[in-house]
Amino acid sequence: MTLFSQAFRRVGSAKVDPVLVALWISLILLALIWITPFVFIVFTALKSNATVMGASAFMPPTELAFENFAAAWRRGNFSTTAFNGVVITVIKVPLGLFISAMAAYALAKVPMRMNKALFALFLFGTMLPFQVMLAPIFRQVNAFGLINTYPGIILPYLAFGIPYQVFILYGFFSAVPKELSEAARIDGASHFTIFRRIFLPISLPVLSALLILDFVATWNEFAMALVILQDPKMWTLPLGLMSFQSQFSSDYGELNAAIIMTVLPAALVYLMFQRYFVAGLTSGAVKE
Amino acid sequence: MASVDISGVKKSYGAVAVMHGVDVAIGDGEFVILVGPSGCGKSTLLRMVAGLETVTGGQIAIDGRRVNELEPKDRDIAMVFQNYALYPQMTVAQNMGFALELAGRSKAEIKAEVDKAAEILSLTALLDRKPGQLSGGQRQRVAMGRAIVRHPKVFLFDEPLSNLDAKLRVKMRAEIKALHQRLKSTIIYVTHDQIEAMTMADKIVVMNAGRVEQIGTPLELYDNPANLFVATFMGSPAMNILPAVTQAGAVLVAGVATLPIVVSVPPGTKIAYGIRPDEITIDPESPVKAEVVVVEPTGSETHITARLAGHEITLISKARVALAPGDQIGLSFSPNKHHLFDDATGRRLEASGGMAA
Ligand SMILES: Nc1ncnc2c1ncn2[C@@H]1O[C@H](COP(=O)(O)OP(=O)(O)OP(=O)(O)O)[C@@H](O)[C@H]1O
Ligand SMILES: [Mg+2]
Repeated sequence: MTLFSQAFRRVGSAKVDPVLVALWISLILLALIWITPFVFIVFTALKSNATVMGASAFMPPTELAFENFAAAWRRGNFSTTAFNGVVITVIKVPLGLFISAMAAYALAKVPMRMNKALFALFLFGTMLPFQVMLAPIFRQVNAFGLINTYPGIILPYLAFGIPYQVFILYGFFSAVPKELSEAARIDGASHFTIFRRIFLPISLPVLSALLILDFVATWNEFAMALVILQDPKMWTLPLGLMSFQSQFSSDYGELNAAIIMTVLPAALVYLMFQRYFVAGLTSGAVKE
Repeated sequence: MASVDISGVKKSYGAVAVMHGVDVAIGDGEFVILVGPSGCGKSTLLRMVAGLETVTGGQIAIDGRRVNELEPKDRDIAMVFQNYALYPQMTVAQNMGFALELAGRSKAEIKAEVDKAAEILSLTALLDRKPGQLSGGQRQRVAMGRAIVRHPKVFLFDEPLSNLDAKLRVKMRAEIKALHQRLKSTIIYVTHDQIEAMTMADKIVVMNAGRVEQIGTPLELYDNPANLFVATFMGSPAMNILPAVTQAGAVLVAGVATLPIVVSVPPGTKIAYGIRPDEITIDPESPVKAEVVVVEPTGSETHITARLAGHEITLISKARVALAPGDQIGLSFSPNKHHLFDDATGRRLEASGGMAA
């Protein structure tokens, strides 16, 4: 109760602050708007097709139709698509982050003649929307004979993911005082040791934020996968979802069960890594 | 422990020359302080000794061995930075042991060295903390501990105390001096605080605009400044400099005070006359009159700024004085305590006969 009443007051003030009250109300409204589709999806996923058509969408399901999940798993060929998704994401995301971090370190901390020009090149990379590149990428990947292969999709993912990660990490690394790397150099550390022992640990919050974003983006990526992975055996989860929409008779229960199974891993990764993200922000200030 | 020889060292950043040939010879175990105004190149010189900046010209030798081309880690030096530069994610013990760890020493060896250094710096209770959980003074000590554990030939300090409050600074000053006496190591220490320089150094190097102005013990610099720059830089409040003209057997200072000083230059030459604030006394009998501008009591003494024939001068009175701005006072200059400088070059006029004592 004290916590609740304190929420509407300024720190150390006894008066209710109308601005705070308004902020809380808008926060709750916003949260409701955000949560509505999820509620809709979860409810629908648990209803049989007959109930979906019959009753209001926001009616809680009366008897839970868990068989939707099993049916969706089979129909969407989840055992294949989930496996492909895991392989692609688990290779691409850490590899991309590692390459980006090394590139950003080199650009920010290793004196080279070409630093500025190379960084401009990376910046240019962030400005290219990959949708316009789909056709040329397809031809390129095809020329390498990599259509329907893991490298064929991972390499373009890396090419489009790395520039913006380099951009963000470059900014972060540049802000690290130069005395820190100098102290390490005097202590006898090579550039790679400085990178691994000093820069990676202190950039953990940024790295986990980038990891979350990149995991979600890679896991859910659709357009590039559609172009390059044409064999259903190579499909990822978002491609698997297509088989629910292209049918003449739509089963909304199964479709929503499939959606939940698709987004769940991304949500789990988020929950796992946001702890580091928050802990990292306060590291040094409080005991860990 | 080692000697450091800096000879004819030059530094340019692109086309901009910031160091124009610096020579400093530092003996084994000496505590040498580089002082000078901001931007004069103290840090640059120190960083060249450390190997963090390339040397454009000249040579730096440690223990007789040329080190210009050596990596910092191969020079056997340790450096303490102004902002401490502690590794934030490592504990105090890890921070101090990092260099030994990279050198491939055993865990037991590292622990022994770290414990010993922590003991010297009274950091033992803090070994498991992260830098973020330490006060400024404690961080400063960790930075020193990181240097000590390596037993380097030369310690380099770049303004290590300037982020501390005045009281802690005095305490750390004493600690660093005690540390030097204990380790008997060669130390090069940069500061722009001339009190720090006076109290700690065996030898002071006064730098200005990329050149060495003078090298000497603190008292040599104070008593025998080689030129106007050193005269006004060392000592606080700064030495008073007044225009003067030589006469036969005397010097006419500021056009009002005729002082019996024998000079080596011909009569009628314009020179600069310098006198420290504590060598001017208030003397009601004196014919030299000045008008009080500001009175600043510091407790133990009183600093008085007065205007003498249009020139502001500062004097220090050990006795409490009841003076207000606008009052007229008589001034007398201690004989034989003056410093005379060539007006054009700023060089000390050696044969001025003043510093016979
Ligand atoms: N990377 C650089 N590029 C160009 N000029 C530089 C660079 N680093 C330093 N300088 C110049 O070199 C001169 C000496 O700088 P330095 O940092 O050695 O001064 P300092 O005596 O340590 O001053 P402070 O007391 O303010 O620390 C300055 O004029 C500075 O502008
Ligand atoms: Mg400096």
